[in-house]
Amino acid sequence: MARIIEFRDALREAMSEEMRRDPRVFLMGEEVAEYDGAYKVSRGMLDEFGPRRVIDTPISETAFAGLGIGAAMMGLRPVIEFMSWSFSLVAADQILNNAPKMLYMSGGQFGCPIVFRGNDGAGGQLGSTHSWCVESLYANVPGLKMAIPFDAYDAKGLLKTAIRDDSPVFFLESERLLSIKGEVPEEEFVVAFGEALVRRPGTGCTVVSFGRPLYFCLEAATILAEEGIDCEVIDGRTIRPLDLAAIVRSVRKTNYCVVVDQSWPFASVGAEIAAQVHKACFDDLDNHVVRVHSDDVPAPYSYDLEQQMLPNTRKICEAVRSVTYNA
Amino acid sequence: MSIEITMPRLSDTMETGSILKWNVGEGDSVSAGDAVADIETDKATMEMQVYDDGTIARILVPEGQTVEVGTPIAVLAEKDEDPREIAAASAPPLEPAPAAQEPAPAAQEAPAAAPAVPAPDPTASAPTPATAAPVPAAGAERLRISPVARRLADEHGIDVSLLQGSGPGGRIIKRDVMGALEAGRETAAALVPSAAAVAVPTTPVELSPAAAVPPAGVRLEPGLVPLSNARQTIARRLVESKTTIPHYQVTVTFNVDPLLDLRRVLNEQLAAQGVKLSLNDFLIRGCALAIHQHPEFNASWAGESIEIHGEVNIGIAVALPPERGGGLVVATIRQADRRGLREISAEAKHLAQKARTRGLTIDEMAGSTFTISNLGMFGVDHFTAIINPPNSAILAVGAAQELAVVRDGQIVIGHEMSATLSLDHRIIDGATAAQFLVSLRQLVENPATLLV
Repeated sequence: MARIIEFRDALREAMSEEMRRDPRVFLMGEEVAEYDGAYKVSRGMLDEFGPRRVIDTPISETAFAGLGIGAAMMGLRPVIEFMSWSFSLVAADQILNNAPKMLYMSGGQFGCPIVFRGNDGAGGQLGSTHSWCVESLYANVPGLKMAIPFDAYDAKGLLKTAIRDDSPVFFLESERLLSIKGEVPEEEFVVAFGEALVRRPGTGCTVVSFGRPLYFCLEAATILAEEGIDCEVIDGRTIRPLDLAAIVRSVRKTNYCVVVDQSWPFASVGAEIAAQVHKACFDDLDNHVVRVHSDDVPAPYSYDLEQQMLPNTRKICEAVRSVTYNA
Repeated sequence: MSIEITMPRLSDTMETGSILKWNVGEGDSVSAGDAVADIETDKATMEMQVYDDGTIARILVPEGQTVEVGTPIAVLAEKDEDPREIAAASAPPLEPAPAAQEPAPAAQEAPAAAPAVPAPDPTASAPTPATAAPVPAAGAERLRISPVARRLADEHGIDVSLLQGSGPGGRIIKRDVMGALEAGRETAAALVPSAAAVAVPTTPVELSPAAAVPPAGVRLEPGLVPLSNARQTIARRLVESKTTIPHYQVTVTFNVDPLLDLRRVLNEQLAAQGVKLSLNDFLIRGCALAIHQHPEFNASWAGESIEIHGEVNIGIAVALPPERGGGLVVATIRQADRRGLREISAEAKHLAQKARTRGLTIDEMAGSTFTISNLGMFGVDHFTAIINPPNSAILAVGAAQELAVVRDGQIVIGHEMSATLSLDHRIIDGATAAQFLVSLRQLVENPATLLV
């Protein structure tokens, strides 16, 4: 039985179900307990699980990220919330040096089954320091997994998988998607990592993306369909592990590829995917892979400027027209 | 503000112009009124002037290139600008659209083991037309084509050098190949009925889908085809051969029914071993054996003497596809008189294939003492060839044709094949030539003798 719930509810359900299922799981972060969550994601969880499992922290990302890593090393399964992934930069040493490398550095003695989650990307006039897209920065590091859900269904299914996964998982949500409603089954389900989903089948051009920009991709696909260009939109779902095979299958069919990545262009996830597609699909491409990113500038505060900076529908349409020689 | 110099409209009817010669180079200063280039138009060659003072920052279109009126051909930096900055900012030089002009030979594939030989020493014994060494010549351009377009063209047997690319810089893209395929399908369907009227060729003619009738209203692409060094050398040698050797021709017609029968029987028996003998294979052997009885056919003019060669090396002319530069090379089958049909056949196939793909080495092209050129597979009745120096003769072979012939005083249906010798009169006179052909005919019309 599926019900319509919000993305934020789907996140809460995932955490709550996993916490009921496994007593080692706990949630920690700024405002997660008493305040019901800075964005109301963890509403009611303090009442259900108590203060030992839903824990408010001081404003000290390094401290509570490190605390979580230590707990994970000792056998617990923490979910650490960053109010925004922008704030994770403060804890970079913990989350990049300790979490993903712990298994390696300890010679297999200590794992780190931790989930770091929070809002990633432009939140709407939050300014340049609070609008970070961290995927391109962090995806470079070996030892971590990275998931980025598109809708409520994936939010729940991917978060459950993340909590059950023994690797450290960076779970990238979006403040702009928290209110998005979607159908989510009541029954137990998970969404596996490394399995992309075709959100819109097509034959004319492959468009690959993750997270919020997929909404722009689907809007662009509708516009382009009127022009006779039939886009196939692929939701990668997890950046690490990447489901390259799904992308390759699509590009072999369409011969054209556009990658839409909300982070900045240089040394980005988009660049990585383009490089992998060029290699795997060299003989199937009629044109090089075109990338759409946020403009290579700090996120503006001004509403209109921010909208223009993002990998928006207009830019995606232009990219698809260009790559298919319909510009 | 830098100034873009575009191809000027030098006459009312001018639509494209060729840059015959640049009189300035990048970095040169020019003044208003200077003639900076010679442009060839539909009517005449004219000078092109600049109208400003400045420095040539970038030449965008090289000599020999034809572009449409209005196309930027150079960038001029004004007095207060740095030409190098302007050059860096301007678009990269235009590479010629390859479909508009024939690509120079061997530009796409890495050359084979053939060393970079320009023109060979004229006094060497290497045969003239065979010096088409597969080396990219100066000015050879790479064909611009997307990977999937190339793959589709290969899969469907479409000749990409005949395509007009609609992508950036004349890049051939998928839709160009698919378009040619569609056009080919339509016209190939119309052409099929007339194919049956062609005389029986030695090997079947395959109608290439790209050899289609052009759509109505389309014009030929005018332009200059740059020639590689190899091709220029071949040209020089052909002229040399034709003008210095006193050529004359002697023609004979063979009754090839026995040969066709023998070939069919042998090929049936050898099919399981992957052997398929062609008529040319038999002719190679036949010529090699006939030469033994007429050693002047294995000779070279040496000024004050005639040099008779010990080895009988038969050269076979192989036509090269446009991607390898077109034209033809001569591959040498050494000691053809001492090798059996099967070996000759395998060697001929191998060399022809290699010539068309990776190209031949100097060794594989050198040393022939007699050459055979066969246009039978194209349905040609009869033709004459130009002697391949330092050979003394060349045999030009036509198709085996089904005709009404006289056998034993009766008119019957039979197969006949015409062969024309071109000979160097300084070495071989008419009577000798006739006797050679008598011997050759004996062998060809009693083909079992070719097997022993």
